Amino acid sequence: MTPDTASVTPDVLLAPLDPAYLADENPARTGLRWSAFLSADALPRAAALLLEAGWHLEDICGLDVREGLMAVYHFDRMTSPGRLAIRVLADRETPVLPSIADIYQGAEWHERETADFYGIAFTGNPNSMPLLLPEGMQGHPLLKDAAARAPLAALLAAQGREDTVLRKAEGFTLLEPAEDAKPAKPAKAKAAATEEGADNA
Amino acid sequence: MNATISFDSVLHVVLALVGVAVFVGLNGLLLVYAERKVAGFIQRRPGPYEVGPQGILQAVADALKLIGKQLVRPDRADPLLFWMAPVLAFFPVLLLFLPIPFSPLLTGWDVNLGLLLILAFAGFNVLALLLAGWGSNNKYGLLGAARAVAQSVAYEIPLLLAVLAIAFQEGTLSLSAIVGGQGGMPWQWNIAVQPLAFLIFFVSALGETNRAPFDLPEAESELTAGFHTEYSGMGFGMFFLAEYANMIVACSVCTVLFLGGWKGPFLDGAWWFLAKVYGLLLSMMWFRWTYPRVRFDQLLNLNWRWLLPLGVLNLLATAFVMKL
Amino acid sequence: MHSTETLRSHGPACPAASADGGCADDQIAGDGYTCHFEQGARPESLILNMGPQHPSTHGVLRVLLELDGEYIVRAEPVLGYLHRMHEKMAEVKTPAQFMPNMGRVDYLHALAWNWAYVGAVEKLAGIEIPERAEYLRVITCELNRISSHLLWWGAYLLDLGAFTPIMYAFDDREMLLDLLQLMTGSRLTYSSFRFGGVYTDASPAFVQGVRQFVPHLRSRLPMYTALVTENIILRRRIEEVGVIPQDMVARYGASGPVARGSGIAYDVRRAEPYSVYDRFDYEIPLRHEECSMARYMVRMAEIEQSLRIIEQAVESLPDGEHMHPKAPKPSFKLPAGESYFAVEGARGKIGVWIASDGGKTPYRVKLRAPGFSNLALFAECARGTLLADAVAILGSLDMVIPEIDR
Repeated sequence: MTPDTASVTPDVLLAPLDPAYLADENPARTGLRWSAFLSADALPRAAALLLEAGWHLEDICGLDVREGLMAVYHFDRMTSPGRLAIRVLADRETPVLPSIADIYQGAEWHERETADFYGIAFTGNPNSMPLLLPEGMQGHPLLKDAAARAPLAALLAAQGREDTVLRKAEGFTLLEPAEDAKPAKPAKAKAAATEEGADNA
Repeated sequence: MNATISFDSVLHVVLALVGVAVFVGLNGLLLVYAERKVAGFIQRRPGPYEVGPQGILQAVADALKLIGKQLVRPDRADPLLFWMAPVLAFFPVLLLFLPIPFSPLLTGWDVNLGLLLILAFAGFNVLALLLAGWGSNNKYGLLGAARAVAQSVAYEIPLLLAVLAIAFQEGTLSLSAIVGGQGGMPWQWNIAVQPLAFLIFFVSALGETNRAPFDLPEAESELTAGFHTEYSGMGFGMFFLAEYANMIVACSVCTVLFLGGWKGPFLDGAWWFLAKVYGLLLSMMWFRWTYPRVRFDQLLNLNWRWLLPLGVLNLLATAFVMKL
Repeated sequence: MHSTETLRSHGPACPAASADGGCADDQIAGDGYTCHFEQGARPESLILNMGPQHPSTHGVLRVLLELDGEYIVRAEPVLGYLHRMHEKMAEVKTPAQFMPNMGRVDYLHALAWNWAYVGAVEKLAGIEIPERAEYLRVITCELNRISSHLLWWGAYLLDLGAFTPIMYAFDDREMLLDLLQLMTGSRLTYSSFRFGGVYTDASPAFVQGVRQFVPHLRSRLPMYTALVTENIILRRRIEEVGVIPQDMVARYGASGPVARGSGIAYDVRRAEPYSVYDRFDYEIPLRHEECSMARYMVRMAEIEQSLRIIEQAVESLPDGEHMHPKAPKPSFKLPAGESYFAVEGARGKIGVWIASDGGKTPYRVKLRAPGFSNLALFAECARGTLLADAVAILGSLDMVIPEIDR
């Protein structure tokens, strides 16, 4: 990590990778300082650039949305803090993403956990054994029923969100609220679940 | 050595063995209780105090519990080795008490080569630990046994060197004679003349008896009980008793060699001997509850790099002084 | 736990694995993880399984070791023995129903996890907290940090073979637990933070107790230093053992005393300030030796710094409410959106990420446990060390397995 890379902000760092979306965020609202949408191919290169610039990987979260299976990578930097969220969308039928475990060795476990919970296959991950769930278990617990899945815009493009969009690719529609941004059906499915939960509380 | 074996001497030895067995048994109970009480006080808690007044029957209750338990052997553990190990750990220790003079009259078998007898039979302990670890068919047991063998073999040498220094000085291997050569007052004991030998002997004794800070073969936090992982009930009880018996032997020999045996400033007798032995035992327990454990390579380094050269130097110095 | 979904099975890529887990190869006794681990083993190594029942693995952790004598050639932690799927529970419970879960994630610093979740929800929903509640949160969280570090200290020394310090530590912890019981109602798995404040106000007994406790613990620390920290055997066991260089910290995302023992001055209380920590005068202990001793010294120093914070907070405790009058009822709905809230726990940076679509229950809750990232570097750190050193390294990482498995 050279002194000049240490202070480079993600918008400059990730610009060569042509992210589909890159925004400054308001940490007071979301806890994120920057967010980006990358394609799966650009992910390893982004990880390499980030490691060189002194970023560390906080976690990898899976997210089951209508558009597909999303993996959200949270990065942060110890020398000049500010959280970066990189979002990568994988196809639902064959969810495959490249592994960054050769760059960030800590990602091995995060990826295995996401694979357990969502079934996303990370090509290049050195260890294919399930991390937390039992061997031989069928199914992935955190996948949502089709009726309960929300579009990404319903989760991220909420009211009061104060993004400053730095770049946005043509045809990027993931954060545009759809007509049925708050569908009635998922609320019913959830209400059934919480009635049970409320009974047990 | 007395070549004629009379009925009297055989009877004497047999009676002595019985007495030793009783002594070791009673001491086992006493030391278990003492250890737990000492541990409690060092750790700011009362220790046993429910079973009997002040908990003095705790050790008896534990002994009865251990005796009453089922003897379990893992399926693939070798039966002969598995069951022989605790027996081999405990019974030879009884022989070790024979040459030790508790008082001028209370000596099991006053042989000229008492020291040699003790050092020779002490080697059985190593064999017992090895059989226990190997026969358990358990990787932890194996690691514990390997550590125990390396440790015991290593620490025998400085022990021997310290003992030899005293033997050179007194010119005899008979324990009674060595006690006889010392006086009653502390400055007349051998420790005043050979303090380094005492230190080497005591540290080596800690190493030989697998007591903390050298209790690696049974390091609970690393090897889940090491060589006696697979033992429960009376098998474990025998190892337990053997460890205490070994401790008593080591402290007794130390007392005889360095602290004047049964001699005291006034009224010589077995009470002085016992007082000194228990004093040393108490300090062994004190060490156990105070210090963390050393690492295995540090243990061996301590032996080969420090105790052995110091022991050799001490011996040479003794020989040199004796020559003059 | 077999769901009827048949999307993808968790078959390992082990050629000898059978379909339902386990190993089809008769020569290898063990389950799929042993089988997978032994695929890469050298013929003359000893494969040893440390755990899941083991006195030193601080919980239900299994570490597969390939040993060459006493040297570790390769190590692989196997997780999941304590996995309770908190993240799924978060999706089917309302935020208020999920609060008690946070006490069980890391039971030793439960209040920090409480805070992380409550902070994420409050950030997302825009809930305000009265100033007195902020101070109470700081005081109880720092008391919890001290009790966590004391238990770590005692347990670490127990691993190293010293049986006494844990008793002394628990002696001090008793006072702490009594104090925290006054404030939270529990002794260990606290869940006393609420959305909008804390569960109960500080009674005069609590304030008085804290005022007495701080100087008492301060007077005990020199004894611990003299008796334990400066003991030559301990120093030989943990100095220069388990070196974690700074680049390893970055590659694994380690945080907390693990990072601060390697010279990286990162503390969430300073990096992403939250609550009223910026009003107090305290230091962030930092060491550069990168070994287990450095991490040990950092934690001991953190106890003293926590005492400083508590002292200042108690002296300047403002009057007011312990719950905001406009705090939502437990049945409130989260607005749509996401929020990430990070807190400095005893083990490192605790993070909670919530994504909500406006329904009664959150859409996704991610619990970022510091121990997860810290333990990940054990495999690389322990290579080439002795078995006894592995125990020393595991202890110095201060892991609580429930937090790692969730």
